[in-house]
Amino acid sequence: MSAGQTVLAGWMEIAPSAVRDETRQDVEEQNVAALVDQYASTLYRVAFSVLRNTADAEDAVQEAFLRVLRHRDTLDEVRDQRVWLIRIVWNIVLDRKRRAKTRPETDDIADLSRVLPANGLSAEQRTAAAQHHAHVLACVDQLPAKEREVLVLSAFEELSSVEIAGVLGITESSVRSRLFRARNLMANLLNHSRSLR
Amino acid sequence: MNTPTENTHHCADGGEADKTLRLIASLPGPEGLEDRVKIALHGTSRRGRVLRWPAGSRLGGGGWIHGTVARCAAAAAIVFVVAGGGWGVYSRVQPTPAPRAIAMPHVTAPGGFSNAGAMRTPQTLSGTVLSHPVTGATKQNNATVNKDSRASQKKGQQKKGKIDQSRKVAN
Repeated sequence: MSAGQTVLAGWMEIAPSAVRDETRQDVEEQNVAALVDQYASTLYRVAFSVLRNTADAEDAVQEAFLRVLRHRDTLDEVRDQRVWLIRIVWNIVLDRKRRAKTRPETDDIADLSRVLPANGLSAEQRTAAAQHHAHVLACVDQLPAKEREVLVLSAFEELSSVEIAGVLGITESSVRSRLFRARNLMANLLNHSRSLR
Repeated sequence: MNTPTENTHHCADGGEADKTLRLIASLPGPEGLEDRVKIALHGTSRRGRVLRWPAGSRLGGGGWIHGTVARCAAAAAIVFVVAGGGWGVYSRVQPTPAPRAIAMPHVTAPGGFSNAGAMRTPQTLSGTVLSHPVTGATKQNNATVNKDSRASQKKGQQKKGKIDQSRKVAN
């Protein structure tokens, strides 16, 4: 074998470090895939509770996992992956909601009547329930942002007040006081709308 | 402050809102969501690999050291090219010194006025100016002054003649 061929062979040989990189990358991708299996549904529900549109919520979930993939090197440093993921998707959906125009209530009613469980209700009853829920959600939209965010997140039974505080980056006592204010405001809004009818 | 009845009512309404929000929060995700997300991630991951640092740099025995050396060399080459280009421009374009005085061209407007060879003379000091006009008394005074001066001149000449004679005698 000539000297040139030897050099070429040495150059073409794949280094062990390169193989190690590939292996590490595969492991990281498997970790991300495990996160998808575990938390995709939760993230979707969080996204849907703000966006109230199935396609937008799914897009938000995909975007959240793409961000996770970009920062997969730091996955080991994350203490609570569930709160971390919810925080990511929360920021995404808030950003999207800010950019999107306010949805008319009729869209909410149509979407809700499609996604709400039937539970043996007739079509009319389902429409009436959807109207009622859409009306409540319209009242929720009228709340100040801080109170609204806490109220929406408190609806997730799997999230404790400590975890909500972690998602929003505030203290637990702030979560409680905001939740109290949100409920009072919500009651006032619903009473007011009822008296107008 | 809220009365107890109002509070109960508020709680009921707040509960109504909570009920709706909980219902929405508990809605199941669409079927196949996980698979779709995984496919999207897989596609992005593969595309990312294509755009990564060329595989050639990771070949050979050096491993990451080889890659680091190559990056340093590339960075040094860029710095060298930029610095060399800058020096070339600087060495070619020398800043010209600013002239101390600006020589104005001699402009003679055609058909305009010329100085007709006139030269400017500098303004000199004027002579002594008499403060009082010359009268008869001043003329007489001047005459006596002249006589005295003439007499003194004669005396001086006589003195001078005597000195010359005494010198001649001495010689």
